Amino acid sequence: MTSQTFKQLAAIIVFVLISVINIHAQQPSADDMLNQVARLKRIEAMQPDSIGPKYQLALQSLNFAVIYPHAPQTENVMAQAEQTIAQMSKMKHADQSDLCTLTGFLYMVRIVQNPAQNGQRYYIDVMQNFEKALKLNPNNTLAQQLQQKFFEGMRQQTGERSEQ
Amino acid sequence: MSYFCGMKHRIAHIILMLMAVCQVTAQSIISGTVSDGKEPLAGANVFVLGTIDGSLTDSLGRFSFITSQTGEVTLKATFIGYDDFMLTADICQLSNLSVLMKEQAASIEEVVVTASTFSFGKSDNFKTMNALDVVMAGNSCGDIVAALQTLPGTQMVGENGKLYVRGGESEECQTFVNGMHVLVPYSTNTENSAVRGRFSPFLFKGINFSLGGYSGEYGQALSSVLPMETTDAATSDKYGVSASLVDWNIGGTKAFSNSSLSFNAALTSMGLYDRLFTQHRDFTRPYRKLSGEAQYKKEFNASSVLKSYVGYDLTSVGLHTDGRNLSLKEHNIYANVTHRATIGHGCTFFTGIANSSVFNDIDNAQTAGDHYRNFRNEVHLKAEVRKVCSDVLKLSMGIEDYIRNSRLRFAPYRYDLDYNLLAAHADAQWRVVPRVFLNMSARAEMMKTDWLLMPRATLSYIPNKHLQWSLVAGRYSQTAADDELAQSQNSLTQATADHAVLSMQYQSKATLLRIEPYWKKYHHLPLMENGIWQSHGYGISRGIDVFLDLSFPIKRGNGVSKGALTTTLSYSFNDSKRLYLDYAEERTPDYASRHNLRLTAKYAVGKFVFGLAESYASGRCFPVGKTPHYNSVDMNLTYLLSPKVIVYTSLNNIMGRTNIFRYDANGSPITASRDRFFYIGIFVSLKNNKAYDISNF
Repeated sequence: MTSQTFKQLAAIIVFVLISVINIHAQQPSADDMLNQVARLKRIEAMQPDSIGPKYQLALQSLNFAVIYPHAPQTENVMAQAEQTIAQMSKMKHADQSDLCTLTGFLYMVRIVQNPAQNGQRYYIDVMQNFEKALKLNPNNTLAQQLQQKFFEGMRQQTGERSEQ
Repeated sequence: MSYFCGMKHRIAHIILMLMAVCQVTAQSIISGTVSDGKEPLAGANVFVLGTIDGSLTDSLGRFSFITSQTGEVTLKATFIGYDDFMLTADICQLSNLSVLMKEQAASIEEVVVTASTFSFGKSDNFKTMNALDVVMAGNSCGDIVAALQTLPGTQMVGENGKLYVRGGESEECQTFVNGMHVLVPYSTNTENSAVRGRFSPFLFKGINFSLGGYSGEYGQALSSVLPMETTDAATSDKYGVSASLVDWNIGGTKAFSNSSLSFNAALTSMGLYDRLFTQHRDFTRPYRKLSGEAQYKKEFNASSVLKSYVGYDLTSVGLHTDGRNLSLKEHNIYANVTHRATIGHGCTFFTGIANSSVFNDIDNAQTAGDHYRNFRNEVHLKAEVRKVCSDVLKLSMGIEDYIRNSRLRFAPYRYDLDYNLLAAHADAQWRVVPRVFLNMSARAEMMKTDWLLMPRATLSYIPNKHLQWSLVAGRYSQTAADDELAQSQNSLTQATADHAVLSMQYQSKATLLRIEPYWKKYHHLPLMENGIWQSHGYGISRGIDVFLDLSFPIKRGNGVSKGALTTTLSYSFNDSKRLYLDYAEERTPDYASRHNLRLTAKYAVGKFVFGLAESYASGRCFPVGKTPHYNSVDMNLTYLLSPKVIVYTSLNNIMGRTNIFRYDANGSPITASRDRFFYIGIFVSLKNNKAYDISNF
C-alpha cells in the first residue's frame, strides 16, 4: 500500500492548494494546476524512492489533463503521468490497485481528448483497469468514483438514459 | 464537514506559522532563463533540490522565485523529453542564470523500431490501431488476414485470399500466437476459393506484422512473420452472441480473482447465402465450418502469467467440378501453453509448447474415385530469457525445437515424413550513441546434420520522436513443403533469403508516412530438374512500399469534436523473378503483381462508422498471358444500436466488376465465385455493460 504517512502529507498540501485556488475561483485555472503539478514534482524529487509522491504527481497530472484536455501543456503533462506510472510499476511495493486506477485514468483522459477516435479504442482498457483496481481493493474510492464518472460519460456518448 | 472545518483551521495555522517563519529568515531570489539552445522552454520546472521552492518557466523560458535557503544549494530543472539539469552553487550565484537543457536520448526500452513492421494494439504507445480498427478496414468482414491486405507490401491474390508479402509465396509468411508457431493459420476451401484466417482479431491485444528483416527470435519464414499476443486475463464476466447470413457465434468469459476462462463456438455456413444470392460455382454441399475455442489465463502475480489456448475447426464442402463431385473435409486443432515470469535483475523467462494437427480428407480430389488423405502434425517447444542490462543494452537468447511429421495417402502415391529442426538465437539491442540503435542477432538452425547460421542486424537512427531511419539486413530460412521434401527423399536443403530494407518513417499526431525500399535474394529454392527435386532454385524480389495515414478531426462550430476521418494510402511496387518448382525458366511468379494500391477512408461520427476502400492491382503474368488489372470498391458501415448491440454491414466490389484472378492450365480465367459479397451481422453482449465490445474473450 502506498505510504500512508506520505498520503496524509500530500493530502494536506493538496487541500492547501485547493483551498487557495477556491478563494479565487470555483474551477482551478490551468496555471494554478500546472504550478500544483510542478510542486508535486519537486516533492517527488525530494523522495525519489517513495511511491506516494509519484502517485500524487501522476494523479494531479491526470487531473490537469482531464480538465484541460487540449491545453498546449497537456501532452507534456500526460507524458509525465505516463512516465511516472511506468516508474511506479517497476517499484517493488507499488500498490497494484492504485496502479490500475491510474492506468485506467490515463486511458480515460485519452478518450476525453478525442472521444470519436479514442472512445472505441481505449474504453475496454479503462473498464478493465478500473475493474481490476476494484477487484484488488474493493475500497479504492478513487477507482469507484472514476468508474462511475466513466459510466456516466459512456451513457451520454451512447445516448443511453442515465440510470437513476 | 466538521472534519474539513477543523482541517482548514489547522491548515490556516500551519500557513500562518510558515509565513511567520519565512518573514524572519533571509530570502534570496533565483532567476534566469531555460532554453534548449534554439528556443526558450516554456513550462520547465526549476527548483531548489530538496525543497518545494521553485517555479515554472513562462512562455519566454524565464523563471524567478524566492527561497529561504542559504549557502550551497543544488538547482534542478526538469522538462519532459529533456535530461534533468542540475547545478550546485552558492545561492548568491544563482541569479540571471542561463540554463541549457539537452534533449533526452531514448533508452533502449523506450525505443520501438518500426522498420518493416506494422503494429496493432498498445505496443506503440497511443498511435496504433486496435482489433476493431483492423476489422473495420475495407472489406475484411472481420478477417484478420483480409484486413492486413490493406497494408503495403501485401499482394492481392484473390483466388485463395492468403497473405503474399513482397514477392514471396504465402507459405513464406508464418503466424505465431504468444510466440508459438501455428502450422496452418488459415481455414480451408476448395481450389480457387478464398480462405480466411482462422483466428478472430478480438483474441489479440497486439498484432505485429513484420514484412521482413525480423529478429532472430523468428525462423522458418522466408518473407514475413505475423506474431500475435492474446489479451490478458479478463477482469469481468462476458457473454455474447452474434449472427449474420453466414455465421453464428456464442461465447463468454468467466472471470475469477486472478484468472479467467473463456470459450467460443461458431458455425459458419454458406448454405443460406447460396440460396439467397447467385454464384458461379456448383456446390453439392455448402461450405460449413464448426469452430470451438477455449482459453485459460492466470496471473499468479504481477510478474508471472500463464496463458493457454485451444482451438478446433471442422470444415466441410462439396463441389461439382470437371465432371466429378469433390468432397473436402478438414480437422484443424491448435493448442498452446505459455508462461512468462519476471525473475528479477531485469530478467524475463519465457517457456511455451504448442501443437498443431491438421487432417485433410478429400474424395474425388483429382479424378472420380480417388481419395486424398493427409495428416500433418507439428510440436513446437520454446524457451527464452530476456535481460535488460542497462538503459543502453538489452539481451535475449532462446532455444526452440520443431518436431514435424506428415502422412500422405493418395494412391498410388504415399509418404511418411518425419523430421526435427533445432534452433537457437541470440539478440542484442544496443544504443550505440544517443539516437543511434543497433540490433544484432544470430539464429542457428540444425536440420538432420546440416547447420545454418543466419546473422541479422538493424541499424536505426532516431533523431526525435517523429522520425526514424533504419537499415535492416539479414538471412532467413525455411524448409521445403512436405510434398517436395518427401519426394526428394528428404534431401532438399533449407531455402534461404537475404533481406535488405531501408526504412524511413515520419509520425506526428495525425500523420504517418513510411517509405521502404527493399531487396530480397532467394537461394536453394526447390526446383524440379529432370523429374528430381533439387535445391537449385533461386529468385530475386525488389520494390518499394509507401504507406500514408492521415487523420482529420471533425469539429463542431464550438470546437467540440464531432467525429474523425481517417484515410490511408498503401502503394507497393514489386519486381520479382524466380526459377523454382516446375518453372522451365526464370520468370515473374504468377501470384505477383507489379503495382498494388489500396485507398481507405473511415469516418466515425456519433454511433456510426463508415468505411470505404478501393483496391487496385496490376495484371499477373501467366504462360498463357497477363490477367486484366484487379479493381474493387468496398464499403462498410457499423452502427451502435445500443451499448450492447452492434450492427455491422459491408458490401464488397460495389461496382460488380468481374475480376480475373488467374488462368488455369487450359487458359480458362478463374474468377471469384460471386462478383459482389454482402455481409450483415448483429453482435449482442448479454452480460457485460460495454459498448463496442463484440469480443467474448
